[in-house]
Amino acid sequence: MTLTIERIDAELCIGCGICVESCPTDVIRMDDKTKKAVIKYPEDCQLCGFCAIDCPQGAIYISPEKRTPLLTSWG
Amino acid sequence: MADKNNQEIVIETDVLVIGGGIAACFAAVKAREQGVDVTLVSKGVIGRSGMSPWAHGTMAVPPEKKDKIRELADQAHVGGEYLNNCTWTERVIRESYARFQDMLAWGQPFLKDEKGDYIKPMSGNQEQEGRLWALEDGPGSWAKSLRNQPVKMGVRILEKVMIVDLIKQDGAVVGAVGITRNSFDLYVIRAKATVMCAGSGGFKPVGGWPLGDLTSDGHVMAYRAGAEITGKEFEDFHNGMVRRQGGIWLSNILPMTNAEGDSVPGFGFGLSADIEAHEGRAPLYRGEDEVFSGVALGLSVHTAEGVWPVDEDCSTGVSGLYVAGDSCATMIVGAAYSMGGSGSCNASVTGARAGLAAAGYSRQKVLPSINWEEFSELKDSVIMPARRKGGFSPNWVTQLLKNAMMPYYILRIKHADRLQPTLAFVEFMRDHLCPRLFARDPHELRLVHETKNMIINAEMKMRASLFRTESRGTHYREDYPLRSDPDWLAWVMIRQVNGKMTVYKKPIPQEWRPDLTAPYEERYPAAV
Repeated sequence: MTLTIERIDAELCIGCGICVESCPTDVIRMDDKTKKAVIKYPEDCQLCGFCAIDCPQGAIYISPEKRTPLLTSWG
Repeated sequence: MADKNNQEIVIETDVLVIGGGIAACFAAVKAREQGVDVTLVSKGVIGRSGMSPWAHGTMAVPPEKKDKIRELADQAHVGGEYLNNCTWTERVIRESYARFQDMLAWGQPFLKDEKGDYIKPMSGNQEQEGRLWALEDGPGSWAKSLRNQPVKMGVRILEKVMIVDLIKQDGAVVGAVGITRNSFDLYVIRAKATVMCAGSGGFKPVGGWPLGDLTSDGHVMAYRAGAEITGKEFEDFHNGMVRRQGGIWLSNILPMTNAEGDSVPGFGFGLSADIEAHEGRAPLYRGEDEVFSGVALGLSVHTAEGVWPVDEDCSTGVSGLYVAGDSCATMIVGAAYSMGGSGSCNASVTGARAGLAAAGYSRQKVLPSINWEEFSELKDSVIMPARRKGGFSPNWVTQLLKNAMMPYYILRIKHADRLQPTLAFVEFMRDHLCPRLFARDPHELRLVHETKNMIINAEMKMRASLFRTESRGTHYREDYPLRSDPDWLAWVMIRQVNGKMTVYKKPIPQEWRPDLTAPYEERYPAAV
């Protein structure tokens, strides 16, 4: 199990786009229609958490649930 | 879907710097200080890309502490099992304090005690006293400050632009081609000199250190341009451990017990956890309820893999191309990572040197005119995956590659019986899957090129691991379990010759070799 970006709260999101810029792996994009941030490529989340750290609204949730397929060296 | 009739955005600059971490920022700032025009390009965001955000601190030794410099250099020599480059080790330690002063001047705060002296990071041990300085806010600090100085100096910054290939003409690198995230437009950056600071790379491990954007782009681009690569047989053991209960564990030195309740010896930057698994004594526990599995990062040893710098100015032997940071194999440590904090320090020292040298080189050059006929072939190779109607998705191919590389018995406990078939599989990926990768959108086009780079890196790692027929440092061969000083006081070099990956030895200079008449235990005091 591993952390991953789980949810961006559309109520709290003010559409500033800071998270889109801060993500090193291009997971988050702005939705053209709603003008809010959406998780577009969740499989590329590298779990760094910059989006949640940078969000001025605290709108981004990082989950302890298994969302990303996890491969280990042994198990 | 983005328009596939791409536009070309042409930028002309004196010095192009590729990357977004400590090395890239030092290169950009030091070049800019020389008064030349500088363009800094990151596929992510400056300060948030690559490994730099995860640094705890940096190594810095005041130049007057000559004994400390000597002691550290000697430790790196023995700890790296005689495969460090002694000249670079001493150079980087000697210049560490000046670069630390730059970091302070750029507004990066470091931790101080009540007397106002800089102090070591929490994770530091006594041995690190007096040389390793902690970032005030811990890991993540660079993300806040690193971008400021290049911006202040008037460096042109392009973010979310992935450089895919270097433009080489008449034997010299004269710029690079990049892609962007919202369209299939191409960036054509014409540059008099180029500094590669795009880090090293792993295989996008999930759980463990965040390496999702480190895909060996810099090593592979420089390799294609003709540079020499080294250090690929070694492994970085900044262990990423995954807690079964959820979450990831990023610390690397933990007391552990195995499934039989015995404590695991020497757990840290070493093989012991993997050996426990290999012998059937996994999982590992910390306390009563935390259960761990290992994650192979796929990185080689920090600062000891990548492009071989042919001179003290970080030049590569390919005109117009310089390397710095984890793209540059200064080999300040050798077969094992024996000098904590040296990654950040090495990045700043090589970044500064490469930036200065590139600025000097650019002053002697005029911007060469592009041979557009040759260039159109390169351009096609960059954009072709977006023009294909079908093929293989980069995510699927990356998953296959991860499946091949992740098990402990490939990169950590090695054997020719496993390396050879894995190499054959990687060659199939290179020859059959790579040419058929296709991208449905610009995001996937980035993934296609990252996947191709990771596959070339995997090939390098398999070939280098097969080639070194001994065990040394973090390179462990079950079929050659002992060190072999007569054969292997040498670096494993990789270069493209007539389109083929070629592996060969570069001997360690005589004066850096250990005394072969001394008892084995003296030569290798850390050996168990």
